[in-house]
Amino acid sequence: MLAFVLRRVMQSVVVLFVMSLVVFSMINLVGDPVDMLVNPESLPEEIDRVRRDFGLDQPVHVQYWKFLLGAISGDLGKSFIFGRPALALMAERFPATLELATSALVISVTVGLPLGVYAGLRPDGWGTRIIMGGSVLGISVPTFWLGLMMIIVFSVVLGWLPVSGRGETARFLGIESSAFTLDGLRHLVLPATNLALFKIAMVIRLARAGTVEVMALDFIRFARAKGLAPRRIVLAHLMPNILIPIVTVLGIEFGTLIAFATVTESIFAWPGLGKLVIDAIVNLDRPIVVAYLLFVVTLFLVLNLVVDIIYALLDPRVRLQGDET
Amino acid sequence: MTRTDLLSIQGLRTEFPTPDGPLAAVNGVDLEIARGDVLGIVGESGSGKTVLGLSIMGLVDRPGRVAAGRIAFDGTDVTAFSEAQWQGLRGNRVAMIFQDPTTSLNPVQRIGTQMIEAIQAHRDISSGAARQIVREAMVRVGINSPDERLAAYPHQFSGGMRQRVVIAIALLNEPDLIIADEPTTALDVTVQSQILRDMRRLCRDSGSALIWISHDLGVVAQIANRVAVMYAGRIVEQGATMELLKSPSHPYTAGLMASMPANSPRGQRLISIPGGLPQLSNMPKGCSFAPRCTRATEACEVLPDLSFISRGHGVRCVFPLHVGASLAERN
Repeated sequence: MLAFVLRRVMQSVVVLFVMSLVVFSMINLVGDPVDMLVNPESLPEEIDRVRRDFGLDQPVHVQYWKFLLGAISGDLGKSFIFGRPALALMAERFPATLELATSALVISVTVGLPLGVYAGLRPDGWGTRIIMGGSVLGISVPTFWLGLMMIIVFSVVLGWLPVSGRGETARFLGIESSAFTLDGLRHLVLPATNLALFKIAMVIRLARAGTVEVMALDFIRFARAKGLAPRRIVLAHLMPNILIPIVTVLGIEFGTLIAFATVTESIFAWPGLGKLVIDAIVNLDRPIVVAYLLFVVTLFLVLNLVVDIIYALLDPRVRLQGDET
Repeated sequence: MTRTDLLSIQGLRTEFPTPDGPLAAVNGVDLEIARGDVLGIVGESGSGKTVLGLSIMGLVDRPGRVAAGRIAFDGTDVTAFSEAQWQGLRGNRVAMIFQDPTTSLNPVQRIGTQMIEAIQAHRDISSGAARQIVREAMVRVGINSPDERLAAYPHQFSGGMRQRVVIAIALLNEPDLIIADEPTTALDVTVQSQILRDMRRLCRDSGSALIWISHDLGVVAQIANRVAVMYAGRIVEQGATMELLKSPSHPYTAGLMASMPANSPRGQRLISIPGGLPQLSNMPKGCSFAPRCTRATEACEVLPDLSFISRGHGVRCVFPLHVGASLAERN
């Protein structure tokens, strides 16, 4: 197991390095950040001074080398706009995004899993037709449009929930979150649901496919032949078997929840990472964009590793092979 | 034979709907099993023997259903049972063992969990007490150091061991009837004969009746005291094992016996019955074996009734074998 983890960490470092190279060279093609930083009527000497200050007068490979040296020591550069370290800015915004993504994940499992299992157990029921129809909508209707519709219906027309922002936060067990105050929760419901919609549809489809597949297997028939109650069959025999693929997919999808929270955060003005990076792209704030992309890559690498470990815990057959290596 | 019948089946018909109308996988089956009886059901793949077993368990997968007939278990008609009533019966008074031991056990649950739940589904006892029963059951089927084994997962067992576990589970609640659907087919020959011997002993000890379903007449002959031969959803011949083997009356039974490797002269090609099972959707009008039968005439276009050659030896054939022969000998 340890050898496996070490090998994966080495691979991750290589992926990170290649990714930084790609990101850094691409961002240099997008445009000259100096144009955004200085007054267009400034004197040429003034422009040159700004360019020198940010080190943008040097060739790209020199800039990359400096960036790489900084990155190894944990410094991803300072934001051109805010003048503060990119990592510190991201660390400030990260809890809001994490909170949004976690809520969305919890919603998608608690809603999607029971619906999917139900649909798999009763393939011909009218309830199944409604669930599956809904999941097609969830997958095919664009998130941003649904988000806008939710704001119009629940906030503007009905006035039940606030339009945007994060609301009041509170600290509990050392975690600052809006999930701990009523006002915060009211702010969280719409964006989290919006972000979860696509994942709910996905969990429904995975759970249904898994249920149909597993229920046809011999050990389910044998469980019925033992005279077990349907409830016991579903909880003890069906669930552990369908959870294996669902956990795998959801682990990876948690990364996309954080990465794609960008759209939802923009719509609901949620002060998270997504909003930070969108602003940075618009303003050509290179260090933030690079830091964000590297962060997302790291996130996916770590999640993949964690998923593999959870997978081994869920499936004893994998565990055995892991012990032998 | 009717006084002590444990299971009595009359006119059982199990259908599966298709766009062209329902197909009967089991068609007009009559069977009686007394307590302690061992009945072998022989037939080739697709003859309906597994569906017959599942019908007795109330486990026919939807949209299939028992369309007609009566299954009386210990005097009670179970065909109209609710799902809850079935749950009380299954695994408790009737148990079933399936063909493939590698897939009968849940891969992600410990063996012990899967055994204990079978007891607790029917009896209100503590896990500790259930564990004690499970431990004894493991030893009975020949699995040593049960405590270690109970904590293991199915993939850590060999095929033969897994089938022993499945048999132990079937025996846990001391059922009146065990239906074994080709339980040794997936195992190699030495393990097969061990399990066969153990099964016979275990059923005798517990007084359980046994239905042994197999395509192998040789295996059935070793374990059963009565044999029913199935062909295309019908029982074409049934009788006491010794008598049926000595004087098979249905041409199909005779063909099955002739095609057993042990009955073929050494160095010659194995004998086989020409042709294959008729399609359920395209059944011959009368006797379903007629298209493959060398003795068939126009008279076979009417479904023959079960006629009794001797006590308890019935055959569904217009021109049964041996009857004529024995008559000729007498003349």
